Amino acid sequence: MAKFCWLVIGLMPILFGCEDMVELEKQSYVVAVGIDKTDQDGTYQFTYQIANPEAGSSLAANNADQAPSEIISIVGTDLMTTSSTANAFVTKQMVMDQTRVLIISEELARTDQFLRVIQSVARSNQIRRGVKLVISKENASQFMNNNDPALEQRPHKYYQYMLSRARETGLIPDADIHRFFQITEGDADLFLGIYATTIEDPKDVSGPEDTIVAGEIPKHGGNSTQFMGAAVFKEGIMIDVLTAEETRIANILDKTMKMDELLASYPDPVAPEYNVAVKYIQKNEPKIEINYDRVANHAAIQVIIPFEAEIIAIPSLINYSQVDSYKERLKKSIESYAEHVTRQFIKKTQEFYRAEPFYWSLYIRKFFKDIPDFEEADWNKQIYPNADITVYYQMKRMHFGKMLDDTHLNEVRD
Amino acid sequence: MRKKKAQTQQKQTLSSDFVNNLDQLKNCFSYGVNNDFSIRLLQAKYNNKELALCYYASLVNSDKIEQSLISPLLEQEGASIFAIITAESVKKITLLEEVIENITSGKVVLLMQDEKVAFSIDVSNFQHRAVSQSEIESVVRGPKEAFTESIHVNISLIRKQVRNSQLITEVLKVGERSQQDIQLVYNKQIVNQELLDDIRQRINKIKVDNVPNLESLEQYIEERPYSIFPTIFYTERPDNASTYIDRGHVVLLMESSASCLILPVTFWTFFHNPEDRYARVAFGNFSRLIRYIALFFTLMISAIYVALANFHSEMIPPDLLLAITAARERVPFPLILEVIIMEVAFELIREAGIRIPSPLGPTIGIVGALILGQAAVEANIISPIIVIVSALSGLTSFAISDPSFNFTVRISRFIFIIAAGVFGMFSLMSALILWLMYVVSLKSFGVPYLAPLSPTFKSNRDVYFRRALKKERWRPAYLLPKDLQNMNKNK
Repeated sequence: MAKFCWLVIGLMPILFGCEDMVELEKQSYVVAVGIDKTDQDGTYQFTYQIANPEAGSSLAANNADQAPSEIISIVGTDLMTTSSTANAFVTKQMVMDQTRVLIISEELARTDQFLRVIQSVARSNQIRRGVKLVISKENASQFMNNNDPALEQRPHKYYQYMLSRARETGLIPDADIHRFFQITEGDADLFLGIYATTIEDPKDVSGPEDTIVAGEIPKHGGNSTQFMGAAVFKEGIMIDVLTAEETRIANILDKTMKMDELLASYPDPVAPEYNVAVKYIQKNEPKIEINYDRVANHAAIQVIIPFEAEIIAIPSLINYSQVDSYKERLKKSIESYAEHVTRQFIKKTQEFYRAEPFYWSLYIRKFFKDIPDFEEADWNKQIYPNADITVYYQMKRMHFGKMLDDTHLNEVRD
Repeated sequence: MRKKKAQTQQKQTLSSDFVNNLDQLKNCFSYGVNNDFSIRLLQAKYNNKELALCYYASLVNSDKIEQSLISPLLEQEGASIFAIITAESVKKITLLEEVIENITSGKVVLLMQDEKVAFSIDVSNFQHRAVSQSEIESVVRGPKEAFTESIHVNISLIRKQVRNSQLITEVLKVGERSQQDIQLVYNKQIVNQELLDDIRQRINKIKVDNVPNLESLEQYIEERPYSIFPTIFYTERPDNASTYIDRGHVVLLMESSASCLILPVTFWTFFHNPEDRYARVAFGNFSRLIRYIALFFTLMISAIYVALANFHSEMIPPDLLLAITAARERVPFPLILEVIIMEVAFELIREAGIRIPSPLGPTIGIVGALILGQAAVEANIISPIIVIVSALSGLTSFAISDPSFNFTVRISRFIFIIAAGVFGMFSLMSALILWLMYVVSLKSFGVPYLAPLSPTFKSNRDVYFRRALKKERWRPAYLLPKDLQNMNKNK
């Protein structure tokens, strides 16, 4: 018996030897994948951005000559078979387990073809569930080719930093493939995808600076690629684009989104021609209370959002920090402005989308016996569009940064 | 045939014929050819009889013979020989076999005219090294002295730390042609009787001509000679010996071995270091934590690297992945071969370093390794990341201080690397589980190898980390000591 065991152990490496083994240098690492529509249904154009390992490596002799990545586009039916077709001109096996983003053109996202093509993405074991879903205004291949960051040239770093920072500032929603399928298959809420573009179309902004979407930022210099706003998906089809401000509101109202702090400007209550820059800090989750009337199939939703504010800039130089009445006015003004824009946005979702992007269906489920019961009541079409929703912002604390007192204008200009 | 002869010889007693006895001895020791063997004839003053002093000149202290034997015998008057000889130990012997044995172990045998008995006088003076610092198991804090190649010195080093009348040093004989003494040192009030019987039995079972030292004795009495795990603790530190005697272990000592064997022992004996107990709780446990990390690294880091890089590239962060890929693009060998090349190279340097006859040797070896590594990287034979991995795994292996256990770890590392090359993480974990199962199945003189962790026993609970000395209440129960409690006996 012992001899037999030794035989088995001894033969194991030889018989099974190195099954599935792939040397690292025999793989090409795809960092970003783009999918575009073609004229024919069922056929798509796939764009792969392959990282060049030699770029940025201290070993490469001519470091400067190395392009950080190679972008290829090829027409096919699904992601995986197309990648093997691509081996006609790509030297190594393309693997997608390091892929960061999936870029879908807005044109494709607005058709019912989108759900078909993204299904195959979910089935493949190479694509991670955490891959971010980005909707580009133009074609994905165009987006990827135009994207030319000067600093983070290596694409995986660019997407990692770009998306995580934009996410932290609340400009874009947290949108990965996992959440897309979770919400789409739950069939009760709207999914928000990341909206981005490389086509610059600056808008003249009056008022708070974030009532715009990607591409509309009035800027000079830097990469032309902008990530801002959110693509709204209803039942797997894109229906609209949210502005950055609306995206922030959706992030605040959605408890499943991690929301810490963001910088935004609010109208100055005393000098209305100015704005006040505020760091909005969310330390506690919003309270969402739903009262559901089963007979009338009607819900009353009350949302209380506690937050803290740090006043960063007061360009009007009004002494908010030391005059109590001003302070009170500022507090009320910030609260009411936030409530105003939030109510407006909720109204838009109720009337225009007739569904909500806040994942609130989670809190109504408890009123139903089982899923069929819940589905029959129809949160999406019946309950939410007709619900009475009240939103209150409660500022728990307001602080004024490092320097309480501003420059006294009349003393400087005497 | 030979055995029979030995038995008849053994029974032979001394005759009353002085000349005959002397001839027999001369015959036995090839007197005249064997230059070392000396016979001094003289006439005792007290009874005017012929005397012969037989001894090995190289083993005895000649001054002592002169002062305590020859001059009293020539000058003193007295009633019996015991009243004349001033040496501290005089024994009567009657068998020829005993005479031979006493002479070979450095005593002077005195034969007397018309006497059927001989007298053995202890004047032995074996040469040995002085007590020096322990070199293999050095500590910063704690006693520095180590055993030396003299059994008397070694026992005195132990007795210095265990001042107890119950500390027994029992002698067992081993070897048929060259008889050697083995000293069993234990505390009679603590040690388990069955354990002692087992050890005695195993030693008595050894039927070989010669067991020259402790190192070979270890291999004669251990249970699994082919195992990669040591089951007997070989240490050069007297403080280790006395600590384990106090817990109820048995210590074996032999002449001409500068160390002792402690048994039975567990995995923890090899992993723990005496300094863990000499340093304060926090400090000792900190260094132990570092050693756990070192153990993990030295066993696993190369294997994990092979598994991740060859089978699970998705688990490597992209920056590192691209860096490794870029480095690997110029290397001709498969990754697993690269790892094995470097690991073997490290082992080569290490083995050569031990054989280099200067304390500088290992340092030169390691520097050589780095230079070799550097050159190999520049020649694109291996990738730089491999140098880091194998240097880390080699360096951390030095944190496992026990030389026997160090071998275990180094051999296991190769098992794991090959296992990782078969199916990646899956086969690596299978190999680790099999390895652990094997460890659990081991026993050292009946004591499970992972006791008191598994199976659980009462003990001082010094397993992963130790507790304050004040709280160490029990002796290890897996030894079944006669006295389990260590402190607070009256409470």
